Amino acid sequence: MKQHNMYKIIILLVFSFGITAVKLQAQDSTAPATILALRYFLPANKLPYLEVSTKKKNGRKLEPVKAIPVNVYLGEVNETNLLGKTITGAEGLGRIIIPPSFKAVWDTTNSLHFLAVSEPVKGEEDMTADITIKKAILVIDTLSVEGVRTVTAILKEKSGSDWIPVKDIEMKLSIKRSLGNLTVGEAETYTADSTGLASAAFIKDSMPADKAGNIVLVASVEDNDDYGNLAVEKHVSWGKPVISTQNNFWHRSLWSTGNRAPFWLLIIALSIIGGVWGVIIYLITQIIKIKKLGKEPAGQKWDKKQINQSGTIPALN
Amino acid sequence: MLEKFSNEKITSDLLPQAFGRRGKIWTASLLAICAIGLFAYIQQLRKGLVVTNMGDYVSWGIYISNFVFFVAISLVGSLITAIFRLANIHWSTSLTRIAEIIAVSAITFASLIIIVDMGRPERLLNLFTHGRIQSPIMWDVIVISTYFVISLLLLYLPLLPDIKIIIEAKNKLGKPFTKLYKWLGSFWRGNVAQEKISNRSITTLCIIIIPVAFCIHTVTSWLFATTYRPGWDSTNFGAYFISGAFLVGAGGVVVAMYVFRRVYHLQHYITELHFDKMGKVVVMLALLYLYFNVNEYLVPAFKMKKPEEEHLTGLFAGEFAALFWFAILVGMIIPILVLVFPKGRKPLPMFIAGVMVVVGAWFKRYLIVTPTLLHPFLPKADAPARYSHYFPSWYEWAIAMGSLAGVLLIITFFARIFPIIPIHETITEQNEAAQHV
Repeated sequence: MKQHNMYKIIILLVFSFGITAVKLQAQDSTAPATILALRYFLPANKLPYLEVSTKKKNGRKLEPVKAIPVNVYLGEVNETNLLGKTITGAEGLGRIIIPPSFKAVWDTTNSLHFLAVSEPVKGEEDMTADITIKKAILVIDTLSVEGVRTVTAILKEKSGSDWIPVKDIEMKLSIKRSLGNLTVGEAETYTADSTGLASAAFIKDSMPADKAGNIVLVASVEDNDDYGNLAVEKHVSWGKPVISTQNNFWHRSLWSTGNRAPFWLLIIALSIIGGVWGVIIYLITQIIKIKKLGKEPAGQKWDKKQINQSGTIPALN
Repeated sequence: MLEKFSNEKITSDLLPQAFGRRGKIWTASLLAICAIGLFAYIQQLRKGLVVTNMGDYVSWGIYISNFVFFVAISLVGSLITAIFRLANIHWSTSLTRIAEIIAVSAITFASLIIIVDMGRPERLLNLFTHGRIQSPIMWDVIVISTYFVISLLLLYLPLLPDIKIIIEAKNKLGKPFTKLYKWLGSFWRGNVAQEKISNRSITTLCIIIIPVAFCIHTVTSWLFATTYRPGWDSTNFGAYFISGAFLVGAGGVVVAMYVFRRVYHLQHYITELHFDKMGKVVVMLALLYLYFNVNEYLVPAFKMKKPEEEHLTGLFAGEFAALFWFAILVGMIIPILVLVFPKGRKPLPMFIAGVMVVVGAWFKRYLIVTPTLLHPFLPKADAPARYSHYFPSWYEWAIAMGSLAGVLLIITFFARIFPIIPIHETITEQNEAAQHV
């Protein structure tokens, strides 16, 4: 029986120890560290840039950490390799455009290694993040065969002095709109075939466009581990020209500002106001006239007959 | 019409009198209510409109109800003075000044209560510097200020001969207000030229005040009717408001007639005949207003469109049913039933009916303004429960009651300083009547 109790105590101690250990581990994991990340972008018609982000896990959400100074280098940490410095904003993001002074390095290499190093600030230790990007370009083109319009795109990777198409790459083919992009076909993404070509039939042929029917097609590769984020644009006149609707904003109307009131309203309102206030002013002048007449001897300007007829109230005479 | 009295007796009877004990208590009470209202308003200025129970839904509460009530009652000046004068109705002579001072005092506080309703009263100036002529609010500001000036002129011009009488009777009255009388009317000689200009000016004022009076209440109704809301979306509103305004104005005059008659012993000047005639006028106006009410409520209730349903059900059988039926019964139906019989048109029943009309009219304005605001077309998704109910805070009650006391205070002080029944006109009419006989 005693032995039995002893087993019980041992099991209890083991469980207690286990629970305490799990609790301590859990406490450690509730103090999440800030995560530094680095992304590469080659946007359409713009200089390539790097975006750093600082985020911290809060429950299941990643929340931005602002005001973290970050230095980004091309290669190793070295003053000559410094691409730029940034401080993360309210969204926990910072951006560094690759300066033109790195053009020579940029042109001669096929692969780029970027390193981000954050400076220690209050409550945050220094962090590092790095990415290696294979240099690539994205090419967009269009085909129109027997009335069928197709959008194509090829991602080409630099190999020596040549640009070689890359196969099996996921990319998006879309139409640029004011608040985002719409896919040209029905699929969200398109995969490059064995020749590196991704294509999609253009089915949204009634897309509202500018007066000439121009729309902007966009091909993009997003968050690719090897190539980063690339995008390219092409203007085509495949949209439906928008007939400019008449803009009444600057016209005189009942709902515009006071200085753009309709003329008919101004004329009517001001005529009425002017008419009524004209009468009021006339009546005030009449009171002034009565006052002037009162200051002269009673009935001075009138003949004797009138004077006799005039006079004060009989009750008080 | 009036008993034949000597001119001296008429003058002596109608000259303003110093406050007696009751008058002093009455005036002190009004001053106290005004002081409480002023204190509440200073608190509101310091803390902001947060002290009121108005909010995102009910942004027009008791202040705007009071404003509509004041605008309505002010319309009586044009009815008794202008319409009756132009129609050559002479029995109303004794009542013209009562009607005019009610109009001036009510329109004064209508303007003030609008400023009270503004969270930032200093921004009133922006209305003139950045005003939009397209806005009914701008029309209201213009027409109220115009009506105020015309009413003031219509009060002042017929007062000139009486001021002369007061100045000449200073030995009887003593010194108080002598400077004021001299400043206002020492130039009046009563000669032919002055009389001629004065009479012509009064006739012009009587003509011009009628359209302006119609405008003031029509425009006030348009503040509501130009807004697409259940209960306000009506083409009937202009006529409905004007008929209601004439009724409450006539009711106000009846109450004032009775009070002045008793306090100043004016039984020979405000006779039972006046009550009888005014009783008939009130019945006619109450029937007219009832007719517009039937139009205003029965037609939408017959159709019962979805957005109107909640509003109308609330009035007929819901949260506001007691107030609604009180306003209809006490403000219109019972006064009609009382005054339609000759015995009901005696002074005391008339006074009671007049009070009922005025009180009913005040609640009617509240019912026009507030319940509609509680039912917006697009209710807020996360609106707190208190948004769906409104009961004025003590600040609002104090300010509203202070403004009502302010109107009565102006009338009281006016009756203390000036004759509440025109002396000169009463004498002239009596002399003319005697000559005619």
